[in-house]
Amino acid sequence: MREKILYVLGIVALAILAWNINAIARLPQEAQQGVTFKIIFFHVPVAITALTAAAVALLGSVLFLVTKNFKYDALAVAVTEVGLAFLAANLVTGSIWGREIWGVWWAWDARLTSALVCWLLYAGYLMLRRAIEEPTQRATFAAVFSIFAFIDVPIVIFSIKWWQNLQHPRPVFWAGGSFPPDWTRHFLWNMAAMLLLGIVMVAVRLRQEEAQREIDSLRRMAHVL
Amino acid sequence: MHLISQTPLVAQLVSEAERLQHQYEYLSYGLTAAWIILVIYVLMMVARERKLKREIASLKAMLEDKPRTEPRP
Repeated sequence: MREKILYVLGIVALAILAWNINAIARLPQEAQQGVTFKIIFFHVPVAITALTAAAVALLGSVLFLVTKNFKYDALAVAVTEVGLAFLAANLVTGSIWGREIWGVWWAWDARLTSALVCWLLYAGYLMLRRAIEEPTQRATFAAVFSIFAFIDVPIVIFSIKWWQNLQHPRPVFWAGGSFPPDWTRHFLWNMAAMLLLGIVMVAVRLRQEEAQREIDSLRRMAHVL
Repeated sequence: MHLISQTPLVAQLVSEAERLQHQYEYLSYGLTAAWIILVIYVLMMVARERKLKREIASLKAMLEDKPRTEPRP
């Protein structure tokens, strides 16, 4: 039953995104950047999903350190992995957008660099987990590392306020601008669909963590017998 | 004479069409890249799910067989 609900939610998220691609294609061009600006409908929702995942990973890690309950460790690893995939999508779409607008694939400004560092930190988190065999030690070290890695998230978000000479522009809303209402509607639909897709992926990944724990206990039983 | 006066307009239209085509190319690259990354991740999850199910099944089968195959004291 739980599996079916997950599949239905995943299909709903994909259906919204597919319907929205069609609707976004029909929207008028942006005045300065033209059609390319429409990358924003994917670039920003995947970024927000990835940073939300990082915040949930922080919460899971703190709760694991407080309670020593492995459910929170499973939550932290699940959201970190899914967030990493979304952050990769954000970096790649940003790079393609930058190539068209700035003429370069990459600029070492504070926003882009901190986002790349964020991706590397969370990739390091997953590598750290693979390097430690003992489950309690692995979960504890990973939780501490995840809390440390989260320090970069506010830097990613506020870099455009803290550093002035950036290649990356300030977000539309922070710079006092606004979207036309139909743009906002489609942006929010994409945002909701990406978050839903992320939640479904995390739920599937959590189930895999449960399966992994079952395997560990079966192995222990096999070892005892 | 009429054709000559229209030439800049045609050139303008061609250049606008080229600009649009170029921008659509980059938009499609962006969307395709985002989707490819997410699809690759989903495929990795599916592969992991299958591996975990196989592993659980083989461990359960091993545990069921083990007491039967052990010699009695």
